Amino acid sequence: METIILNGSPRGNNGNSEIFIRQFLKGMRTHCDVKYMNKENPEELASHVKKYDTIIMVLPLYIHSMPGMVMRFIEHLEPSAVHSKQAIGFILQCGFTESSQCKYVERYFSCLAKELNRTYLGTVIKGEAAGVYMLPKFMTKKLFTLLNQLGEMYDQTHTFDRRVMEKLQQPYVLTGFTLKFMQFTTKLGANKIMWHRFLKKNDAFHKKLDQPFA
Amino acid sequence: MKQTVVIREMEACHMDCSYTLDLIHHEVKYCQGCWNCWLKTPGRCVYKDLDTFYNRYVAADEVVILAKVVKGFVSANMKSLFDRMIPLFLPYVDVSTGESRHIPRYPKYPDIKFYYEGSFITDEGKQVFEAYIYRTFDQFASKQITVKPIESI
Ligand SMILES: Cc1cc2nc3c(=O)[nH]c(=O)nc-3n(C[C@H](O)[C@H](O)[C@H](O)COP(=O)(O)O)c2cc1C
Repeated sequence: METIILNGSPRGNNGNSEIFIRQFLKGMRTHCDVKYMNKENPEELASHVKKYDTIIMVLPLYIHSMPGMVMRFIEHLEPSAVHSKQAIGFILQCGFTESSQCKYVERYFSCLAKELNRTYLGTVIKGEAAGVYMLPKFMTKKLFTLLNQLGEMYDQTHTFDRRVMEKLQQPYVLTGFTLKFMQFTTKLGANKIMWHRFLKKNDAFHKKLDQPFA
Repeated sequence: MKQTVVIREMEACHMDCSYTLDLIHHEVKYCQGCWNCWLKTPGRCVYKDLDTFYNRYVAADEVVILAKVVKGFVSANMKSLFDRMIPLFLPYVDVSTGESRHIPRYPKYPDIKFYYEGSFITDEGKQVFEAYIYRTFDQFASKQITVKPIESI
């Protein structure tokens, strides 16, 4: 059984998707090839993946779905032969806190698997991931452990472990204390602090509300 | 006079409009995920190929989109256009509705009429597609959003 992992981030090996891939692979004993969509010709890559039993795409959420670059690759994917038993799965991470932001494309991926005649392994979803690449170790420990477990279970069973998926996708929606807390901090403007720090560093703070196309 | 912008992926009969973005002949550059449009040059993308479009989009009352369905979704070119609309919004997140949303950068955004051509292998596929388009333009702060197959107009 051979699996190919595809990095679907336009930031390639500098992004959060790459970190997810590394942690997933850490849990696996079996070797896996990894390719970067931002470095490949989409048509050639679509032809290259035919020889693998399973495709796992690891990608960021862009406007409620896959980045345009990933859709270009999907345009070129051909359906598998009827009895091929090939499979496809997705690991999706996004910026917003609640993972329900991913539900539209999750449903699409399940339809796509059907269209491609591939068994659908499911879509692993993780919210609040935009900052993973800059977080200190102690803040990513839990996430990385879950990704290691996901890789380990995948290696053994060729499935995504439902319990690990369930943990990764918390919170699915904003409710109760989390919502109240976020509403409170946005009222105070605390959610802007990080953006303002970046803007100041780039000497762009005074232009933050610009409307260049008005 | 009402300002209409047309975005199209197919030849279309003549429509009165203030601007047409012809996606048959124009390949939209992929968003690179660099965040310059939020953190270095607020509101501006590192690529300039959509500058006229941005200008007309935020000035329009209505945007008519004629889209082709590809593998049960929008085409890569259309998807890149959606990705590249992030400079029209601010990085700040609002949770007052109970969900995370980006705060508008401009005072108003156009109403959307999205017509699509193509078929789906299942009813679920069609529902997902329509729900996705609604959601996208709802996030893009458009007030009136219509999503319909092209044969219905
Ligand atoms: C153009 C663009 C659109 C995005 N749209 C969403 C979105 O709709 N919802 C969300 O939660 N995060 C969104 N994000 C945030 C990314 O999913 C997040 O930053 C992710 O961690 C990036 O992964 P990468 O570093 O592997 O590219 C968007 C980012 C970009 C650049």
